[in-house]
Amino acid sequence: MKVKVVTRILEANERIAADNRRIFDDSGVYVINLMSAPGAGKTSLLERTIKELNKKLKVAVIEGDIAGTQDAERIGSLGVPVIQINTGGACHLDANMINEVLGELPLKEIELLFIENVGNLVCPAEFNIGEDMKMMLLSITEGDDKPLKYPLMFQESSALILNKIDLLQHTNVSIDKIKKDAMSLSPSIKIFEISCRTGEGISEWTDWLVKKVK
Amino acid sequence: MHEASIALNVIEIAAENCRKAGYSRIDSIRLRIGRASGVMTDALLFAFDALKIDTIAAGATVIIDEIPVSGICGNCGKDFITKEAYVLCCPECGGLSFKVNTGRELEILDMEVT
Repeated sequence: MKVKVVTRILEANERIAADNRRIFDDSGVYVINLMSAPGAGKTSLLERTIKELNKKLKVAVIEGDIAGTQDAERIGSLGVPVIQINTGGACHLDANMINEVLGELPLKEIELLFIENVGNLVCPAEFNIGEDMKMMLLSITEGDDKPLKYPLMFQESSALILNKIDLLQHTNVSIDKIKKDAMSLSPSIKIFEISCRTGEGISEWTDWLVKKVK
Repeated sequence: MHEASIALNVIEIAAENCRKAGYSRIDSIRLRIGRASGVMTDALLFAFDALKIDTIAAGATVIIDEIPVSGICGNCGKDFITKEAYVLCCPECGGLSFKVNTGRELEILDMEVT
């Protein structure tokens, strides 16, 4: 006997992601899923961004890490609501992990929620968590071959921030190659060049962000 | 990526559908997997065989329909289909404005039950 199924295999995650999205929309929260390799500077970007926004937007952060609370402590010291998720080994956040902590956030008082995914260029791109936008941070010291080596993450991202631009002179990296390859994977991707260390390019990024959220 | 958890999802979804249809054994499950889905089919089959033990899918085989990446180019207007997992430009004209229509599938199509 043949039984028709026609069900997406990751349907359970998609269903919870859609629930999350409804909750965010009802509360008027814009949600960004921030992805990168370990050490690209996700938490530094959030620190810079929160300071630069200087309360122009009411921000909160969910930190995803395999272990530890260092990131949440850094963000918490800036006076914004923060929740640390420890995945205990899982290499990405999924919709259910987000769903479980939503009750701990003052959603009605938040305009922008950053979800800092686990540092990894592969798996986070596979799982929707209910975000409005996926974005990616690539530190230029990782090399200009990354878009073509990890295509899905670039394909899924609406914005790409190139960090550590202050180190460009010490590398053989071609920014043009990164941009060209990223745009061939995601033609409408918005690209920013910044340095979280020197502050270069931060205001261009936050100006764009404010317009996107408001 | 996560072939073991995908295999587990396949078994759970198939078992639920099998019981709902009033049957007690799954003989085969047909999956549609896109070339750009990120799934390694060998790893998926291996995980499936390991995880199906002691479930109603214990005797089941998995049949995989691999779906190639295809789309339409906004530059030359032609439909394209490729063996590659990722399309960086239109294979016909090299244009960069194209829309991918297939290749990301990851679904259970149907199954044989008794």
